[in-house]
Amino acid sequence: MDFRLGEKELALKEGIRKFAEAELPPDLVRNTVIDGEFRDFEFEISMSRKLAQRGWLVMSWPEKYGGRSASLLEQTIYEMEIAYWGIPGAWMGISGIQWVGPCLMMFGTEEQREKYLPLIASGQKDGVWCTGYSEPNAGSDFANIRTRALRDGDDYIINGQKVWTSVAHRARWCWLAVRTNPNAAKKHHGISIFIVDMKSPGVTVNPILNYYGRHHFNEVFFDNVRVPASNLVGEENKGWYYLMQSLAFERRSIAPTTYGNLKRILEELARYAGQTEYEGQLLSKNPVVRAKLADLAIDLEVLKMFAFQLAWRISQGQIPVYESSRNKIMGDDLMRQGAIIGADILGIYSQVDPDSKWAKLNGAIQGAYLGFPGQAIAAGTAEIEKSIIAQFRLGLPKSY
Amino acid sequence: MDFSFTEEQDMLRMSAKDFLAKECPKARVREMAKDERGYDPQVWHCMAELGWMGLVLPEEYGGTGASFMDLVILMEEMGRNILPGPFFSTVALCALPLLEHGSSEQKTKFLPQIAKGEAMWTFGLAESSGKHKASEVKLRAVLKGTNYVLQGHKLFVTDAHVADYILVAGRTGEGERPEDGITLFIVDARGPNVKMEAIPTIGGDRQFKVSFDRAVVSKDSILGKIGNGWHIADFILQRAAVLKCAEMSGACQAVLDMTSSYAKERIQFDRPIGSFQAIQHKLADMLIDVEAVQYLLYQAAWGVSVGLPSLWQISAAKAKANEAYQRICIEAIAAHGAIGYTMDHDIGLYYRRVKAAQFAAGDTDLHREVIAAELGL
Repeated sequence: MDFRLGEKELALKEGIRKFAEAELPPDLVRNTVIDGEFRDFEFEISMSRKLAQRGWLVMSWPEKYGGRSASLLEQTIYEMEIAYWGIPGAWMGISGIQWVGPCLMMFGTEEQREKYLPLIASGQKDGVWCTGYSEPNAGSDFANIRTRALRDGDDYIINGQKVWTSVAHRARWCWLAVRTNPNAAKKHHGISIFIVDMKSPGVTVNPILNYYGRHHFNEVFFDNVRVPASNLVGEENKGWYYLMQSLAFERRSIAPTTYGNLKRILEELARYAGQTEYEGQLLSKNPVVRAKLADLAIDLEVLKMFAFQLAWRISQGQIPVYESSRNKIMGDDLMRQGAIIGADILGIYSQVDPDSKWAKLNGAIQGAYLGFPGQAIAAGTAEIEKSIIAQFRLGLPKSY
Repeated sequence: MDFSFTEEQDMLRMSAKDFLAKECPKARVREMAKDERGYDPQVWHCMAELGWMGLVLPEEYGGTGASFMDLVILMEEMGRNILPGPFFSTVALCALPLLEHGSSEQKTKFLPQIAKGEAMWTFGLAESSGKHKASEVKLRAVLKGTNYVLQGHKLFVTDAHVADYILVAGRTGEGERPEDGITLFIVDARGPNVKMEAIPTIGGDRQFKVSFDRAVVSKDSILGKIGNGWHIADFILQRAAVLKCAEMSGACQAVLDMTSSYAKERIQFDRPIGSFQAIQHKLADMLIDVEAVQYLLYQAAWGVSVGLPSLWQISAAKAKANEAYQRICIEAIAAHGAIGYTMDHDIGLYYRRVKAAQFAAGDTDLHREVIAAELGL
């Protein structure tokens, strides 16, 4: 065993710190959890371009698609640091960098790779993706999707509805899961993935505001949307397999980003406790505050090790079975813990609007508090993740 | 970064697993809990022959010079089997500080005895508060001629009844800080004026009050320097915290394995209870706890192994193990139902040992404080 970071990784951390100090406005609101991406689209995309220029945006991709074949360990460090500094624009609409790109490299045609990957890698507006998975009747029961794609000559015609589609209102492309065979023996076997141009006639995007009035996700309607057959990803009706891979990619990056986010929150809370007096005593001397922050720090250390362990396993060429689910549960749990402990420490100020001048710590705690319940549902609820661990790691019988 | 064990380490684990499965079945564990000595001398002898007591000791002292990580692997397997006996007391609490801080005479005299399994040791630190803190060391040691005279007592001293020597933290002076003026003495456990009284515990392990009533210790029997013993005590607590954590990690894994097997076999409502999400999710939570303990343990142990021990990583591991071991046992009993609450079932053996493990080498409060300090609080 060896848990040392190499010179490369340490240099990368240092590089990102300098980048953040130079490029981010000092008063940037760091309540990134509630905002997700794309509150200020122009600014975010400008940051994406700068990250691309540094060779960071898609660092783990091969050179021919605009990356520099960085190791997964470097990628993990990068994600931790990006989240720690709250650098926006790192994901190109969440989907593009994390799973669309990697999945196209695994399952796409060379033509698809050459067309779409450079757009993502260079940080352009036309490289922003959304992902169409959930539907009104397909949440955790994802294989129940009904959006239909019917072959028509050289095209497919798509009809149906997606929901909770993050950043669809900014995306140029949709990574869309549809049903191509409604008569398959198992519903998992009739699913395919298509690349859909969001500018196609028949695509309608309606905003769904989250409970804090922020516009992050949408419902998307497909009304006789014509898509060329060359936009099918991999083989028809094999989509479920690609989807599982894409979800594994998505879940992998949750631990590093949550780690970075919370590490910053923990440090800010420790600083705040060291500067705030109550009844003649600094909060940092209060045994309850000390114990709560220490517990958060311990679990954060667990999350860090989980993130590294998963990256290491993938880098050994192994296919992780349950680790992404483990990390997702741990990350979500910790975000909740951090938000609640943070709110406890801020006390009555934890209710202040994160954008208000009254907000402590730039509203980061309110951002986490408002954001964690949503983050915990995206990409698989804790219940789904735990069932995956039980069945695929512990070998317990299927429960559904 | 590398999360894998070496081939030799895998072999060490396998051979420990095989040996303990054969020599330390649960029937033996139960028997030893009632036994006067609390361990099986035959097994102890075999362990010495396998080189376990001397695993991390250099060859010149009869050891095999293996790494600290190797010892962690071995002790994970001991914890998995709940091996009874004074291995932790002798090796973790005493052999390591003797090797690190002993004079060459002390090392030459004592370490080969330990490696051969001929001598047992233990460490007396806590007093009536039970806390492993310098401020709680009140036992007096007064110089009379060429000897020190010890007056006071130590509580919760493990395996003192079979120990040949006890490492005793005594106060030889006062200083600005409570850490100043503490000295570690090597005391003949069977010497005059050393008395023992058993403290019965729920774990069935052996802990004692050891009283020193004008016990005489020669000046040569000081480990390290006079008045400078706390940093050795600290060294012991750090190494022992990692090794106790290793035992707890093995125990956690055992409890998870046991519960997951049971969930596959036990039929209710015409199906295995492991097909119910209420049980599945409990087990998933247990698995996450198990792995949390493992990776924090390996991180801390690796630091010690390569000579870069991190106080804060050690404390994170022990604090996490304290919390997780307890929770895993409680959840496991719940998943088993009434059978888990019986004397015949093995789960209880683990649950009953939680408290002893939690308070060994620093309780949760102590380790949290280390982390709070690291956070700058």
